[in-house]
Amino acid sequence: MAFFILRRVGVMVLTALCLTFVVFFLTNLYPNLEKLAKTQGNARMTDTEVASWIDRNGYGGPMILRYGEWLGVMPGWVREDPVNGEWRGRCLERGQTPEDAPRYCGLLQGDLGFSTVSDDEVSNIIGGRLALTGVLMFWAFAVMVPSALLVGVLAGMREGSRLDRSLSTLAIGSTATPEYVSGVIFIVLLASSQAGLSPLLVEWGWLDGGTLFLGSARSAMDGPNFWNFTLPVMTIALYGMGYIARMTRASMAEVMTAQYIRTARLKGVSFRNIVLKHALRNALIAPFTVIMLQFPWLLTGVVIVETLFNYNGFGWTLVQAASNNDIELLLACSIVAVFVVLVTQLISDIGYVFLNPRIRIS
Amino acid sequence: MEPLSWSGALGPFLNPLMLAAVVVFVAGFLANTVMTLAGLRAGEMVVNPDHTLSLRRTPVDYALMSMKYAVLLVLACCLVYVVAGVVIAAPETTGIIGAMAARLTPVWIALVALFAVSITFKRKLGLYGKLFDSMIGMIGFGLVMFWIFTALFAGMVATHGPIDVISQMRNELPGSPLPSPEDGQYAWYLLGGDNLGRDVFSRMVYGSFEVLKIAPLATLFAFMVGITLGLPAGYYGGRLDTVITFIANLVLAFPVILLFYLLVTPEIVAAGVPNYLSLVLFIFPLLFLVVLFNSRYRTQPPVRNVIVSVVLVLGGLAYLSLISDKSDPDLPLLFRLWPEALDLFDIPGNLLIVFVSVVFVNSPTVFRIVRGIVLDIKTRDYVAAGQTRGEGPWYIMLWEILPNARGPLIVDFCLRIGYTTILLGTLGFFGLGVSPESPDWGSTINEGRRLLTIYPHPALPPALALMSLVLGLNLLADGLREESLRD
Amino acid sequence: MLPTTTQHLENHPVAEMYAEEYKAGQLSRREFLVRSTALGVSAAAAYSMIGLSPAMAGGHMVTPPMGGSLRIQMEVRAQKDPRTYDWSQLANVVRGTLEYLVESRADGSFAGVLLEGWEANEDASQYTLRVRQGVTFNNGDAFTAEDVAANFRGWCDATVEGNSMAARMGALVDPETNQAREGAIEVVDDYTVVVTFPASDITLIAGIADYPAAVQHRDLIGTNPLDHGVGTGAYRVTDYEVGVSARLEKNPDHTYWGDAYLDEIVFIDLGQDPAAWFAGAEAGEFDMTYETVGEFVDLFSAIGWTQSEVVTAATVVIRPNQNNAPYDNVMVRKAIQLAVDPQVCLDLGINGQGIVAEHHHVCPIHPEYAELPPLTVDKDAAAAMLAEAGHADHVFEIVSIDDDYRRNTTDAVAAQLRDAGMTVERTVIPGSTFWNDWTTYPFSSTNWNHRELGVIVLNLAYRSGVAWNEFGYANPEFDALLDQANGIADADGRREVMAQLQQILQEDAVTLQPYWRSLFRHYRDGVLNAEMHPKFEINVHYLGVEA
Repeated sequence: MAFFILRRVGVMVLTALCLTFVVFFLTNLYPNLEKLAKTQGNARMTDTEVASWIDRNGYGGPMILRYGEWLGVMPGWVREDPVNGEWRGRCLERGQTPEDAPRYCGLLQGDLGFSTVSDDEVSNIIGGRLALTGVLMFWAFAVMVPSALLVGVLAGMREGSRLDRSLSTLAIGSTATPEYVSGVIFIVLLASSQAGLSPLLVEWGWLDGGTLFLGSARSAMDGPNFWNFTLPVMTIALYGMGYIARMTRASMAEVMTAQYIRTARLKGVSFRNIVLKHALRNALIAPFTVIMLQFPWLLTGVVIVETLFNYNGFGWTLVQAASNNDIELLLACSIVAVFVVLVTQLISDIGYVFLNPRIRIS
Repeated sequence: MEPLSWSGALGPFLNPLMLAAVVVFVAGFLANTVMTLAGLRAGEMVVNPDHTLSLRRTPVDYALMSMKYAVLLVLACCLVYVVAGVVIAAPETTGIIGAMAARLTPVWIALVALFAVSITFKRKLGLYGKLFDSMIGMIGFGLVMFWIFTALFAGMVATHGPIDVISQMRNELPGSPLPSPEDGQYAWYLLGGDNLGRDVFSRMVYGSFEVLKIAPLATLFAFMVGITLGLPAGYYGGRLDTVITFIANLVLAFPVILLFYLLVTPEIVAAGVPNYLSLVLFIFPLLFLVVLFNSRYRTQPPVRNVIVSVVLVLGGLAYLSLISDKSDPDLPLLFRLWPEALDLFDIPGNLLIVFVSVVFVNSPTVFRIVRGIVLDIKTRDYVAAGQTRGEGPWYIMLWEILPNARGPLIVDFCLRIGYTTILLGTLGFFGLGVSPESPDWGSTINEGRRLLTIYPHPALPPALALMSLVLGLNLLADGLREESLRD
Repeated sequence: MLPTTTQHLENHPVAEMYAEEYKAGQLSRREFLVRSTALGVSAAAAYSMIGLSPAMAGGHMVTPPMGGSLRIQMEVRAQKDPRTYDWSQLANVVRGTLEYLVESRADGSFAGVLLEGWEANEDASQYTLRVRQGVTFNNGDAFTAEDVAANFRGWCDATVEGNSMAARMGALVDPETNQAREGAIEVVDDYTVVVTFPASDITLIAGIADYPAAVQHRDLIGTNPLDHGVGTGAYRVTDYEVGVSARLEKNPDHTYWGDAYLDEIVFIDLGQDPAAWFAGAEAGEFDMTYETVGEFVDLFSAIGWTQSEVVTAATVVIRPNQNNAPYDNVMVRKAIQLAVDPQVCLDLGINGQGIVAEHHHVCPIHPEYAELPPLTVDKDAAAAMLAEAGHADHVFEIVSIDDDYRRNTTDAVAAQLRDAGMTVERTVIPGSTFWNDWTTYPFSSTNWNHRELGVIVLNLAYRSGVAWNEFGYANPEFDALLDQANGIADADGRREVMAQLQQILQEDAVTLQPYWRSLFRHYRDGVLNAEMHPKFEINVHYLGVEA
């Protein structure tokens, strides 16, 4: 088991290296650097000015070396300004000389670099944003997983029944409704003072002005509550729910046709006991891995929902970083995203091994 | 001119009927739920002592029956609307629903013809025919074909052009008449006007063409790439498998949205990245076809030479036309070598990048599925038999294993088109779509979303269209899966 | 502080002349106010010169109670050297710390802030600036004439990339050294500065009231105010997260020279999508908008917010850049102009909230506006002209930012060009990258803010080779006429030259400039002194909330 995990971690590190290099490569293509130079410097720079800006700010030189600098295995660049003799460098604070500053400052040293769009250290930005997304994810999971499992189990325990058919159609419907469709429909129905439910409620006197739910989750950043957080959470949960429910249903249906269940039925065990005591545990193995693998999919949902509801979390940061070509912030985002994907994959594999009695790793 | 109402002259008769049906349905549903919770069960067949069967009806049965008839009544009313719309063909009388039904006449004819033929010959049509045994599958197939036919007949169905602007019609409600219709111009905006005064109905109809132009083709390409790589990886295993699997996992570990943001930007297009990607990705379909025919006719060299060279010439021409664009001087020299005269078509950079990205994102998943199936199938006896007969590995992979893997692959194909449609919508949502004025559903939803709270009518039709197409594809996949499992 | 305390000239010969023109019906009240206050006459005096009650000079301002907190929806962008500001939003945040010498008011008049008053000589070539006494920086240093002179020298430094103040300083900048002209800025005593132009110049006061003219400490010219926080204002910036929010609080360690009411102001960035702003308003996330646009004007009013409107010379230009073929051909540009009906752009672009313009970027509310014969729209003639120019099958690509009104206006132009048989493609670029190349796109749309005088806009945008000349327009004849116009203090005399300038812009078909926008802002009940400003200025010192 230890060797298995070790090998998986090795592959993980290799994958993370490859992926960050791809991100590094794409963000450091010349047209992107040119765009960066023009945003940071001046929109009307000439081509030679752009080239000199790129060189002056440490974006020149071979890409692989700069990737090494970012990783922290190559010494950071330093340059002396020919005009005023001031030293500039990757690891240098303003006014420092190379002697006072550390030679290496990259990922390995815990330095994520500087975000050009926010004018701040990446590490100062990313932590708070991740925490915000963590809260959103937690609630999305708290809604999505239990309801999906319930729907899946109810549908799967009597395959082909009327209940199964209606719940399955419901699940298919939810997978056919992407976040950007359900989000806008929710806003119209529940969070608009002009259309949907809220004007009716106000008319009936059940609501004194405003809207039922809030269509913007900005206030949820300070304190999430039922009124400002329901819509973003529901929007994320709805799309993922159908998929997990269908997996659970398939798994449950398969278990229900297994020999031991038939035996139990023939022995006269009540249906309730069969479902709860015999079938449920085995039926939940497959959904568990699916739930874990759902994390990377949720990321897309998080990006859409955070944009739609103006919640300044990780997904929103990713969009900002990508559209402004904020190289180091984007790299940090991709590190986090890749880390999440790989760790959930690992957990899903290990969990599968633990949960499934038929698989043993020698 | 008067604005059209939704249901026209039929409304006063049919609407109360439908409302009553809905009330009955809800009542039936509530009664059913309450009785089920109270422990009542639906009646079961009882074998009488005289060997006859009798069904004991319980109140639950009556509740269920009322629900069933209510649904049938609603369906019948809808049918009347559609038929009346097609037959009467006067929008003033039939209302918006009837008028839309009338515009969709070619689609109805095609659908009826297709279903009539398919159901008549369903026993001779293999897996496709079996689809018509499953209600779910038929509904899904109907929805999908509805949109395919709409896309095909878009020119006949749409009432106006997708980017024709009539400025007075800005944000007008559904059914509004044009201020001064010219001769031959359709006199209403059936689903209203959007924030630039374009016809929402026509844009939705043309949007189906935009969506169905890219999604299935991109999925097909993803399948060719995935199959070409997945077959040898699963069949040979070993180092080849390890390397390709690692690369596939690499792409899969990339959050889709980040990848799109990195790929679908003007700067990346300017750097020629989509062209390099297409250079690599589009070689696989060509490779696939060549190997496919080569392995089949290897034993008959003359036939093989003809077929393979035809494939090579046609495919090669298409491939080189696809990746080359002499008219764009910013591209690297590599892509401008191919002479203009032989360059059959140029694809604009932003369409190409969307297409390539979608293929790129989808192929690793297909690869994993194919590899998994191959690992399973290659232990079967008929594969071993082929090997002993001395058949080449590619023949076994392409002509023995692949046909036997078709069930799950077809199912996944349907699901994946739906997923690709959603993905394209996501791109449109982030403004990374094909072109800013394109009527594709994702971009239209994104535009309509801005004024959603006052004017929901421009955003809802494309949203519902997208939902129904994806729902149709999912139901179709479900039906196919059910039927192929019965094999 | 409320600006009624400022001291001004009580009279000026040219202002007397303007008063006569106003009484003769040749000037509107607004035009009269702009011109006479620019010459140093106080708003109150100006009102009384034309026989109105001076009490009207205070506008709608009320004195708010002390204390309270206000949240304002506004973009929060990365800060930089104020001289290089390209967004009013940047100035609005730091206005609590860095104040201005002069400010322009919503009614078009100018009032002193760090200046107690100013006087112009008769031909408006020499200005005597009287510096307010008793003002200190929050680091303890006194604010004196030296600070004013240092800021003027900084503004005149045309070697600083992106310093748009240099263009506003006009002839104060020596074209050879790209620095302030020798002897042009003279410190007479601790509280008096004299600015001397080689010829008369009427734009100086408007120039130093514009948003990049924030006054820094004399030793900190050219720095980012967030790095040091030194200024004369009552507030200090405590948090500044780009794209998210900025927070100002009343600086307890600083004695402000005037009055400031609020304890705390938070600027909340909800992106560029007005739908998101509206959702935020419905969710009660802020109390006041920076600007309300398009259909959302009615929506905000519908949820009970107070509407504040101001008619302005703010506009959108959809312009070809003449450095790119085929737009170097005047016939192509003319054809584009002929094909577009400004009324359609007004209706589709901004919901009809404004007035139609005439493609020459001088607004009827500008004092020197000259009325020209009306323009014609003729799609057939446009197509014929394009064919004659040999570009009938050119594919026109029009770039716009991805927002609401600018994008819609540009789409409306594209649709009309298509109606005239042209092939048009549209490109929409997100706001985060659009401005990187805004001056160089071959054919794109740009919004221009309100300026007090027509010549200011022409100097900023249409003079050959200036920083914001996005048209690629270079016409020596135009430049010479513009120089001439800059020197004429008299309105009617200038109007004759303006007529020629406007005509040249129309004949050269420099730009499509279809409408003038009315600007709107909304705020909740109980927010005080939050009226919309024609240049989007928010002075946090005036704001307050009812207790």
